[in-house]
Amino acid sequence: MTQQHTVAGGRSRRRILQAIGTAGIVGLAGCTGTDDTEELDQLLDENPAEFNPVEIGHWWTAGGEQEAFEALVAGFEEAYPEIEVDSSPSPGGAGSALEADIRNRVVDQNPPSTFQIWPGQALTDYTDEDLLYDIEGHVWDDEMQEAYLDGPIEVSRPAGEFVAVPINIHRLNNLFYNVDVVEDAGVDPASIESPSGLLDAMEAVDEAGYIGMAQQTQSAWSTVQLWAQVLLGEHGVGAYETFISGDVEAVETEIRDSLDITEQYREYFSDDASSLNDWDDASDYINRGEAAFFHQGDWAAGEYEGDDGFEYGDDWDHVAFPGTDEMYALNMDSFVFPKHNPSPNATLRFLQYAGTADAQERFNPPKGSIPPRTDVDESVFTPFLQDQIADFQASTEQPPSIAHGLAVRSSIQTSIEGAFANFIDNWDVDETYDELAASFE
Amino acid sequence: MNSVDETVGEQTHTQGVDSDRSRLDRLKTSAFVESMPFWLPATLLVFLFVYGAIGWNAIISLTGWSGLGQPEYTSFTLDMYRQMPADTDFIASFRNTVVLLVAFTGVSLVVGLGLALLVDRKIRFENTIRTIYLLPMALSFVVTAIFWSWMYASDGLINTMLGGVGLGWVAQDWLGDPRFKLAAVIVALIWQFSGYCMIVYLAGLRSIPNDHYEAARIDGASTLTLYRRVIIPQLRSSTIGATVVLMVFALKAFDFIYVMFGTNPGRSADILAVTMYREAFAASQWAYGAAIAVVLFGLALTIIGPYAYSQYKRGAL
Repeated sequence: MTQQHTVAGGRSRRRILQAIGTAGIVGLAGCTGTDDTEELDQLLDENPAEFNPVEIGHWWTAGGEQEAFEALVAGFEEAYPEIEVDSSPSPGGAGSALEADIRNRVVDQNPPSTFQIWPGQALTDYTDEDLLYDIEGHVWDDEMQEAYLDGPIEVSRPAGEFVAVPINIHRLNNLFYNVDVVEDAGVDPASIESPSGLLDAMEAVDEAGYIGMAQQTQSAWSTVQLWAQVLLGEHGVGAYETFISGDVEAVETEIRDSLDITEQYREYFSDDASSLNDWDDASDYINRGEAAFFHQGDWAAGEYEGDDGFEYGDDWDHVAFPGTDEMYALNMDSFVFPKHNPSPNATLRFLQYAGTADAQERFNPPKGSIPPRTDVDESVFTPFLQDQIADFQASTEQPPSIAHGLAVRSSIQTSIEGAFANFIDNWDVDETYDELAASFE
Repeated sequence: MNSVDETVGEQTHTQGVDSDRSRLDRLKTSAFVESMPFWLPATLLVFLFVYGAIGWNAIISLTGWSGLGQPEYTSFTLDMYRQMPADTDFIASFRNTVVLLVAFTGVSLVVGLGLALLVDRKIRFENTIRTIYLLPMALSFVVTAIFWSWMYASDGLINTMLGGVGLGWVAQDWLGDPRFKLAAVIVALIWQFSGYCMIVYLAGLRSIPNDHYEAARIDGASTLTLYRRVIIPQLRSSTIGATVVLMVFALKAFDFIYVMFGTNPGRSADILAVTMYREAFAASQWAYGAAIAVVLFGLALTIIGPYAYSQYKRGAL
């Protein structure tokens, strides 16, 4: 009920000023040929009792992700029994299928009620064209702003206005390992200090007769992630941030060096790295005890936790990627409020719900991620995720992800992925460096 | 003479009025007008949704449309086309498209012809064998791409078989090594389409009159000469027909590569259709994607144009 009050009470003087501002922009947009978009308040007041089904575009269609989404929907339906949820999944391609689908629908001015999207720079294509409602006040009230961590708040307003509701935080700088394999090879993962030090460890693993690192190189994104962790671990957050700001030449040596180390990792990949269909085929090498190390976002932990008799700490474990102990490399998912919305009132309720502790408590444990709110009950999380929460709170740096759109806008991300599609083809450091530099042009 | 002239003049005059009226009448009752309800709606729809869409695509390629806004039709330039020669990804995918086109079409025709000649030799179980060869074509690219990627996997069927017959050293990372990626795709496509070539050639072979064989035999032609001088020359129109169909399929091999490698196959296996999709739908560079589509359309026209023209010349259209 408090949420209902917020809707009505959120119409402050500031909102009216914003409404005037928006009207001005809409007027300008009208002159340049784009469609008018109604101001949110007015839109919500038009027919406050009307709750059209809320259509949610997402790619959570398998395993723990599917469970997480279903838990979220179940929670929402409990909170708002009068609103129907219309799930609209587009699986495949680490989100690229959904992305293509959503972009088409947004251009056609026929978006779903809300959709899953990476916050941060990935939103700028939408904010540039003023395609998302500012939801400060309506969703981001004072209570929610206080409850959220700073990092998630910042990525929710890439252009200054709140346009997204982050629902989870994944970590990218993990190095998973099979405990028996590293013990057999005489390697102590916690003592590896840098990405180049990992090379020596993998050499020892290789000599002991195991695969050094499980990795899929059929599609590029896993290698983008891996290279980004190498850059972070070897050269620190400073070099990483210079890179994502577009000043690639200033960190040329660092970029080349990190590409070079990634290229050397390749010798320790399994022979079938390039024909593994997805990351979970690679992570399976850890379950089977055939490989020592595996780098992936912490969603990979679900593959181990779901494996009966394969215990956290005893059989599998993880450390921060070498050299990134103090960091929590961020990847998040969020929901937005697109304009031309088919169900404004229902969408608003859904976004308000997604920002609650209840929603995040239901969603995150099966998803294998940690909540962006600070007031979620930790006891519902697995020991692994409790450790991640502790790591997050102890972290001093939270660099945003390149492979998952938080750090760079989508056209740059596409170019970077293209550069790595060629990198996993020819492993040519010089050519890849040139293409990375050209990505920001 | 005069009276005759007058009558003729009068007649011509009345005929003029009559013919105006009757032309209208004739038009009303002509087959053209009467058949309109049958062909006009379909024609209009085709013009709107096929040719109209192609035209619109060409117009978009002249704008600078990118991102999630709406296109602006205020200034038209050839900028998108000027970018192409400097875009290494475009050059690579153009080259791959041509290689795929030539290699796939050429080898499929040869394999199809070979199969057709063998099947045509009054063998047992001809129908069964014909169906087996044709079956792959009935499968969708999505299905064949997935099971070829299983077969090509480093521990897949192909490498296992090579190892089994002592040729383990030939085994390769077929889908990972840039030297083999495109070849792997071409081989799989040949497998899928040579059955179709076989059927086209088989029909061509069956339409050669028996007299020709008999006459050649009586003249003392050997089997080889029979094929070289009598049979293969008569398969010309089958070859042209199959070539056009195969080439158009090669241009559209998008599904196969998309399923195998996703939107970023890397420079060694990228083709124009995938580049177009990536530019338009992944990077939202709509105008550039549209320009690549126009290039692809141009390629298809250069293949179909001469064929359609020659068919027209021969009165086959």
